[in-house]
Amino acid sequence: MDVLGPSTLPKGDNVNPYAFCVDLAGSWFIGRGAMIAYYGDVAFRAVTAYASADAYVAARFSSPAHVQDWVVAEGTGQVLLADRGFDVSSFDLDDGNLTVRATNLLGFAPTLALKQSIVPGFVTLLGTGTFLASSNGPVIFVEPPFRADPQALLGWADCPSPSIHHDAAWMAASLAGALRGALGRVSGEERQYDFTGAGTVLLQSSEVVREDPALLRVVEQQTEQLTDEQALVLAGRLRARVEQRRG
Amino acid sequence: MPFESVNGKVVRAHLGTGRTVLSRRGAMLGYQGEVAFRPVSGTGGGGVRGVVGAALAGESQPMMAATGSGSVLYGLRGLHVTVVDLDGRSPLLVEADRLLAHDADLQTSVQLIGSGGLRQAVRGAATGQGLFTTRVAGAGAVALLSHGGTFALPVRPGEVVVVDPQAYVASVGALSVELRARVGWRDAVGRGSGEAFQLQVTGSGTVHVQASENKL
Repeated sequence: MDVLGPSTLPKGDNVNPYAFCVDLAGSWFIGRGAMIAYYGDVAFRAVTAYASADAYVAARFSSPAHVQDWVVAEGTGQVLLADRGFDVSSFDLDDGNLTVRATNLLGFAPTLALKQSIVPGFVTLLGTGTFLASSNGPVIFVEPPFRADPQALLGWADCPSPSIHHDAAWMAASLAGALRGALGRVSGEERQYDFTGAGTVLLQSSEVVREDPALLRVVEQQTEQLTDEQALVLAGRLRARVEQRRG
Repeated sequence: MPFESVNGKVVRAHLGTGRTVLSRRGAMLGYQGEVAFRPVSGTGGGGVRGVVGAALAGESQPMMAATGSGSVLYGLRGLHVTVVDLDGRSPLLVEADRLLAHDADLQTSVQLIGSGGLRQAVRGAATGQGLFTTRVAGAGAVALLSHGGTFALPVRPGEVVVVDPQAYVASVGALSVELRARVGWRDAVGRGSGEAFQLQVTGSGTVHVQASENKL
């Protein structure tokens, strides 16, 4: 078994399928909790601490909903990143755009710009540079036209944002079944993200999505469009749903 | 055409020319082409007794059928997927919750495992190994879920293969699977290794074992 040190660590490459070594010389954006170890002279500071002072960081990281879940690593050394034993892959964007599930993004070079996606729970990376994403099992690349289960979707590149496809036959069958009392609650199969156009869709094998702290803030922002009466109706429905789930 | 392994955790099923695939509900990751899904009730046909038996044993999973032309990706919670091809002569025994997907022309039924009566049932409850199991018969492909992947152990006549109940995934062939207790004095004083319960497999066929003691 090889023992890895500062000189033998693979620089800018995977150490094994589950950990990646970033060769830091300058700054990198790193998701909170993704760093497992580092060599060298590296300082980790919250993005919030920079965004007020450093216009450069604010311009690169333009998603207030996610800002508190990210840190800036600055200095020189090797930083090891990993996420719950999931597979970690690095992606190189060349003047491109890629949208990825926010909880699966581990880090990105500051040459990329991060923006909040229209689809809740996702962020978009723009520009040229490297970023790291984790996935449950190796990433599966498919080409549109493709319909993906929302929970298995890791991200998409170069194609238009998805629309939501409702499976009419499934819903009709479920409804009839629900009336007979034979079938339980919805499983999510009746709703898929529909991708069209040219590009690539990234999938993983996971139907369990990690709690995304930014998702609440993103959804809350969207509820600003509701009137006061609608907001009260929504609050009541959410409460009823939680009580039903908890039994 | 059997399932195609995309990676250790995902399989792709090609539909068309009358091929229907049954899968666990919630296991569809995505699809290409004109594919229609419809919910079907769980395994354990065979009338009221079958349904009641399935409910008693927990051998019932909500399933769904995929028809049409195109390809569907299946996977569940990042669990490893093993594809087993059945030749039509040997049935497969598996717990229903490990069944990810299979060809719709395979027949599934709920079967009593072992023949120990009530004592066996109590032991089954103690080990988490159900007394009832799902029997899959016919020719076709089955995708099984496991924790950390499976490997196959051959069973030859005259040999006994002993498997930890937690590591047992499925068995194919003319096999008899029996639960045995082997309690030593260390177990009696609470210092046992936890290996007091074992599944003894005899006959001719293959046992699929996972390299983990995690149940699904």
